[in-house]
Amino acid sequence: MNVAARTYQKGEIPGVIAIKDTSCKGCDACKRHCPTGAIQGMFGATHHIDVDRCLSCGQCLINCPFGAPYETVDTVNEVMAKLKDGGTTVVGIIAPAVRVAIGEDFGLPPGALATGKLYGAMKKAGFEILDNNFTADLTIMEEGTEFIQRARHALFGEKAGHGAETGPLPQFTSCCPAWVRYVETRYPTLIPHLSSAKSPQQMAGAVAKTYGTRVWNKEAAKIYTVGIMPCTAKKWEASRPEFKSAYEYGRKTGSAGTGAPYPDVDTVLTTRDLSRLFKKLNINLATEKESDGGSLLAEYSGAGTIFGNTGGVMEAALRTAYAVLTGEELKNLEFKAVRGLRGIKSASVTLKDSKYNKDVTIRVAVVHGLAENITPVIDEVLAGRSPYHFIEVMNCPGGCINGGGQPIQGGGSSWLGAILPWFAWK
Amino acid sequence: MEKKQGYQYTENPFCVSRRQFITISGIIVALMALPAVWLRMAVSSRNDYILARTKGLYKDDVQAKIRVSHANKVVAQYYRDFGGEPLGKLSEELLHTKYINRAKGIS
Repeated sequence: MNVAARTYQKGEIPGVIAIKDTSCKGCDACKRHCPTGAIQGMFGATHHIDVDRCLSCGQCLINCPFGAPYETVDTVNEVMAKLKDGGTTVVGIIAPAVRVAIGEDFGLPPGALATGKLYGAMKKAGFEILDNNFTADLTIMEEGTEFIQRARHALFGEKAGHGAETGPLPQFTSCCPAWVRYVETRYPTLIPHLSSAKSPQQMAGAVAKTYGTRVWNKEAAKIYTVGIMPCTAKKWEASRPEFKSAYEYGRKTGSAGTGAPYPDVDTVLTTRDLSRLFKKLNINLATEKESDGGSLLAEYSGAGTIFGNTGGVMEAALRTAYAVLTGEELKNLEFKAVRGLRGIKSASVTLKDSKYNKDVTIRVAVVHGLAENITPVIDEVLAGRSPYHFIEVMNCPGGCINGGGQPIQGGGSSWLGAILPWFAWK
Repeated sequence: MEKKQGYQYTENPFCVSRRQFITISGIIVALMALPAVWLRMAVSSRNDYILARTKGLYKDDVQAKIRVSHANKVVAQYYRDFGGEPLGKLSEELLHTKYINRAKGIS
């Protein structure tokens, strides 16, 4: 690496993605998918990544026709060692998007819902399960409450006890680490607009090492949390040094022990990493028996599971916000307007705020595929004329289900791989 | 006027019939169109798997017994036994964070 990484804190992974010079053909296919123009190098010359611009989203990795980008961090062996170690409880935090994609690595069709099989395989490998969908529900409680507070502050001038001040509208979601990094590196003036709620993964880590000590009856230092994510940027997120709130909580209550400080999430495996781990342990997910989560923290709602789709966080938040604001349950739960693959989706909901007995119209927007769609939305917010109150942003086109850590689907020129061996020159 | 020389060569006339010409140009056009078809197939199949995975998650939502976050019993139990309330003191400590300005590093 020739340039010093200036946009990283001490202890963070300075860029999860790198390009292998020997495989890169300089074809420029990846540049179209990069949201920040972090890929440097002329057409025809070997490309490399400017780590300060890179969000570690991995879109170049899953879209490269030659498989040149790779992850610089691989902790499969480390996790396997922890699984063998009897004294440690290894907690797998399973993201929503993993259950519909991991089957592809074991011969199931794309999109096959394999929650039960995945639970079974993970238990066989020795994991305890904390379904990230559970903390997605927790995220909705926190982020939704925060949004209601911001909205009531903006609309009715309500004063709030959340932190020192109430943030401005529109509120941006903060689940996507690549999006958070995008704001932090390019639009720091928008930081107050980001929801202060942690991402579901980081909430899961903090909950596993505090509340989880009761669930698994284990001291926090002996719990090893593994994020199972469809995402390469989550590896970077987990390494952010401020994310050791469970340790700080433990220090205050005297349950942290005397060992070294532990991070909330110890390590992250992508979907591809997990299937590699299963294959090393000779576990075939496709033939595995269906199983339940077997843990209190594996209970989740339908709202938590759709977090992996673009528009899912928004839909889940609207379901809960509606119930909290009006005091009655929503009859038709499905918000079709925020579903689908259009670049920018918007919807508005008119409802009666039961506390103030006034009608309010909440306008929301959903953006995915930062590379193509984010600029007009950000320009509106910067100019102060954004019509929206709540904006969901996910970096990858389609949301987490198409994340940079998901199984790679053949496309583009991958058919070349099958016929190349026929030629002497390879 | 120049006089025509005996050794001057004239090219043969284009000896393809009208039907043959149409056939040949048809084949050439088809060959040229193939990459476009492959490209379209690649692009559309890219959306196919995205849509399949999307459908999988919406299916999980429909078959879930509880479909809203605030009805999740374990979430309620978490707040009752441990966390307090959303945006409460402990939630602020464990479930919320702050962001940092990294723009200085970008040239």
